Amino acid sequence: MSRAARGLLLAGAAVAASTAVAGTLEEVKERGVLRCGVVESSPGFSSIDDAGRRVGFDIDHCKTISAAVFGALRIEYVPVTPHTVFTLLQSGGIDIFPDGATWSFVRDVSLGLDYTGVYLYAGQGFVTRRDAGVESVRDLDGATICIAQGTTLEQNIADYFGRHGMSYTPVTFADIDMGLQAYHADRCDAFTNERLSTAGRIANWPDRDDHVILNEVISKEPFGALVRQDDPRWRDIALWAFNARFAAEELGINQANVDAMRKNSPSAEAQRLLGSRGGFGEKLGLDNDWAYHIIRLVGNYNDSWERHFAPLGLSRGLNASWKDGGLHSALPFR
Amino acid sequence: MKRELAWQAVLLVLIAGLAWQLLSVTQANLARLGVDSGLGFLWQRAGFEISQKLIPYSADSTIARAFAVALLNTLVLAVAAIVGATLIGTAIGIARLSDNWLVSRLALVYIEIFRNIPSLLQIFFWYFAALRALPRTDSSLALFDSVFLNNRGLFLPSVHAAGGWWWVAAALLLGVAAWRLSRWGRKREQRRLAARWGLLALAGLAGASLLLADLSLQGPQPTRFGFSGGLVLMPEFLSLAVGLSMYNATYIAEIVRSGFVSVPKGQWEAADSLGLPRHLAIRLVLFPQALRAIIPPLSTVYLNLFKGTSLAAAIAYPEVVSVFAGTVNNLVGQPVFIMALTLAVYVFVSLCIALFLNWRNRRLAPSAPP
Repeated sequence: MSRAARGLLLAGAAVAASTAVAGTLEEVKERGVLRCGVVESSPGFSSIDDAGRRVGFDIDHCKTISAAVFGALRIEYVPVTPHTVFTLLQSGGIDIFPDGATWSFVRDVSLGLDYTGVYLYAGQGFVTRRDAGVESVRDLDGATICIAQGTTLEQNIADYFGRHGMSYTPVTFADIDMGLQAYHADRCDAFTNERLSTAGRIANWPDRDDHVILNEVISKEPFGALVRQDDPRWRDIALWAFNARFAAEELGINQANVDAMRKNSPSAEAQRLLGSRGGFGEKLGLDNDWAYHIIRLVGNYNDSWERHFAPLGLSRGLNASWKDGGLHSALPFR
Repeated sequence: MKRELAWQAVLLVLIAGLAWQLLSVTQANLARLGVDSGLGFLWQRAGFEISQKLIPYSADSTIARAFAVALLNTLVLAVAAIVGATLIGTAIGIARLSDNWLVSRLALVYIEIFRNIPSLLQIFFWYFAALRALPRTDSSLALFDSVFLNNRGLFLPSVHAAGGWWWVAAALLLGVAAWRLSRWGRKREQRRLAARWGLLALAGLAGASLLLADLSLQGPQPTRFGFSGGLVLMPEFLSLAVGLSMYNATYIAEIVRSGFVSVPKGQWEAADSLGLPRHLAIRLVLFPQALRAIIPPLSTVYLNLFKGTSLAAAIAYPEVVSVFAGTVNNLVGQPVFIMALTLAVYVFVSLCIALFLNWRNRRLAPSAPP
């Protein structure tokens, strides 16, 4: 987001902060529905399927919170844009925004909002033609690269290529889809944007298999869900609800085996997670089987990945569990 | 009279007050939002690359330099499109007047088609049509192994002055001087000899300068991803130049036609009765008179065309709107000042175009000798 937009939002936030109310959980329960902010169309993250349902990796985050609170999916999806989302959060128009906000210093400390952990390590990546034989970003020396104007995309690539003594010709479009179309028409050797969302956008190309998305990223964009800063209890609920999905993956609990694990798992941590001992849910103001409902209705982190990103040909990479060399590490349930 | 003056003074004060109010409110609001103001950002490091640069530029250059690069790109595109539109438009306009039924109908069809499709759509059409139609880099169309055409653009050999471009400029100046001298000599019989020697000296100096400039051609060299070196005309530039030329040519064609039609029929007949051949009649009698009717509306077309170059932002041609109002604005987040500068550029260049054409027009006015 541009500095200007951020300035406007700051102003909006300052006005809105006074109207914020504590007790989001009570409010959501009374309302009977969770208001979840989503971006309208970003295949893989948040889109609408043939049956008219909202699907996507980030939609699963909305479902996670709803499952924890209600034990059921009761969600009102509120379409947002980067220009409206922060004001909507501040004024109570939405309860949570789990759809692609990079966790950065300024956003965290100056918007009156809090992050609830990192749910996805994203970054600026590249898509190239398979027959170009490009295996890493280093092979793109001298290439023509299509870019969409964004906050930092153009600078990131100039920095990266400059740092490695490489040259390139940028072809800079105002619009992401126009840039992708031009790349598709072979105007450029590569297209660069946020790596995972690029995968979503090109998934439907008839010649998808002629293109490869490089595994490397040249910038890091840790995505986290945002909630209001004035309600620590609500932030705890969101943080631990997302964490329950990482914990379930580490404990070998998934959507398919959750009922069996709930009955039979000898692991004390699994029992505490799924609510058969410890009374952890009550401590959050939820039912004790809150995490069971999350895994039952949405699945663990890997279930979401397999559902939304794996079909796009994306491997977990940095988003693997720490046990597999990734960065996600569940906080312990004890 | 006095009262009129008083009213005008009041109006002036009101307008000035309003402008002042607007400015100070903007300043105060920017300060409140914590948005920097002023033009200090122009000296920051740009930090981004630009695809087409007519002066040396890199990510380490200042934003002011990026602005200059973008402005030059705008001007080059405008000049190319103005030349193209004028040539095509004049040809079509004259074809419209042709006695040949087919030729005049074809010209009409051209005008009706290209005038009635939005300029932006035509640009998209040429851009994506050209990208799809042109060969890939590994199967480029080549001419003498030095000119290449593919979907990355038209690659030409560039002229390289090892001795420095100053010598080329000097040679050009000397050449112009020699040309003026030869015209001066032709007019006065007795000056012929002096002129001839002067001419010889000037031509010699010009030749020497050219030798010192040490000109050579540098062809594009094949690389892993196409070509590097030489002169590149990007597909964005080509499709914009074609799109803007074809679109604006329709207006110029109509202006040219009306200009010729506006010359009274008697002038034709007079030229005929003087025994002037047709091409001389057009050149000496009709064209100068038609031009007086053509130039004023022509400046409107040129101005529209110049402003139309901002459509380039849609297809990644790095001109002022794309680079400055787009990338730089995203970078420094000072929309008020950046938009003001961008607007100022358009106003300034437009006024220059209008002034130039007005000056041409005055020289062609009926009182001046043709």
